[in-house]
Amino acid sequence: MVDECQKCSRCNHRFYLRKYRSIEYTFAWTIAAMVMFIPANIYPMMVFYQLGNANESTILEGIAAFIESGTYPLAIIIFVASFIVPLGKILVLFILMAKTQSNDRRRPILQTKLYRLIDSLGAWSMLDVFVVVVLAGVVNLGFITSIEAGLGITYFTLMVICTMLATVSFDPRLLWDSVLNEKKDAKNSVEQALLLDSNGKENKEQFNNG
Amino acid sequence: MEYKDIIDQCVACEECDGFAIKPTLSEGQIAKCNQCGATLFDRKVDPINRTLAISLAGLIVLFPAIFLPVIGVDTLGVFNEVSLISSIVMMIEEGSYLVAVCVFVFAIAVPVVRLFSAFYLSLCLKVNYIKPSLLVFFRSYHQLDSWAMLHIFLLGIIVSMYKLVEMTNMTVGLGMYALVFLLLCSTLISITLDQDLIWGSLESVVDQKNS
Repeated sequence: MVDECQKCSRCNHRFYLRKYRSIEYTFAWTIAAMVMFIPANIYPMMVFYQLGNANESTILEGIAAFIESGTYPLAIIIFVASFIVPLGKILVLFILMAKTQSNDRRRPILQTKLYRLIDSLGAWSMLDVFVVVVLAGVVNLGFITSIEAGLGITYFTLMVICTMLATVSFDPRLLWDSVLNEKKDAKNSVEQALLLDSNGKENKEQFNNG
Repeated sequence: MEYKDIIDQCVACEECDGFAIKPTLSEGQIAKCNQCGATLFDRKVDPINRTLAISLAGLIVLFPAIFLPVIGVDTLGVFNEVSLISSIVMMIEEGSYLVAVCVFVFAIAVPVVRLFSAFYLSLCLKVNYIKPSLLVFFRSYHQLDSWAMLHIFLLGIIVSMYKLVEMTNMTVGLGMYALVFLLLCSTLISITLDQDLIWGSLESVVDQKNS
């Protein structure tokens, strides 16, 4: 029944009982994001030309430059947004995918809150990309100073898009399916215990009427 | 009671698939799921008039925000200004086509589509011109919600301003104020637009068309 396509009565959108092949798509996008993360950190994000001298810097080198020049808040913002958030999203998505398969019935609320967190934090990794785009556009003063965007930007953008698509394709209702199945199993077993009691008929009537 | 009347009173949570009876809310109240705490729906205060006014204001400042220069840099006599469009053109000239397309989509295209959809929807609801084609506009508004990155672009400009101030003389252009105002309108629309109200009014038209 999960693979049966239905049509919404309000907006005519075709949908499935759960998101279409949720785990497969999420897993694929997360692996793609992990693969993209490596060249995003190896290739330079920004090439800084000053009087003819080229100075390339990757994400981590840029953060180190911020720390050396003393602007700690900026370094922390860029470190969190460009390094911690993507890695954290990939890690949390792996954990959530594992939880849907493991029949773990404890704390589904915490897992749903985790999903909501990475859903809202999704786009903030693009901060570094926008910084480089604005800098490359503004600092275009010919020979004196000019900034060019490096190859790392392309891979970083691809990685952010992959993580966002992975979050969109994950269905949080899968986290609750094992919880609800357990409740249904428990109810069935209680029903059966009541019915198989020594005062069998009496309990059955009580259960049917109550 | 028909089956349809029963299911009209029920609502399922998007995140945990929990079932709930739809409460009647007064303006300004929020309904949250019993099981997982996600927001089911909420009724906003005076949605149609407010959305119409704010989206109209956003559309007016749209062109200045995109085309007027945002920041300008001046060092050793050489001066350069950049606007939203010129930074994208610069990316295309340098050869980073993917980044240019992505910045265009996330920072210009998606906010414009959302703004225009909100304006058109609230206008149609105000004059009671409800057609099933409005569904396309509203679904695009709903699905593009998480892909609008105008606020991140503004923070990126602020971060780069920090870096530019120590290197050069920096000036702020008119485009900056327009961009801030556009972001304000875009955020206010997500506060004032009542999604459940629009779905409800569109549903009656779709039913008439289907039956």
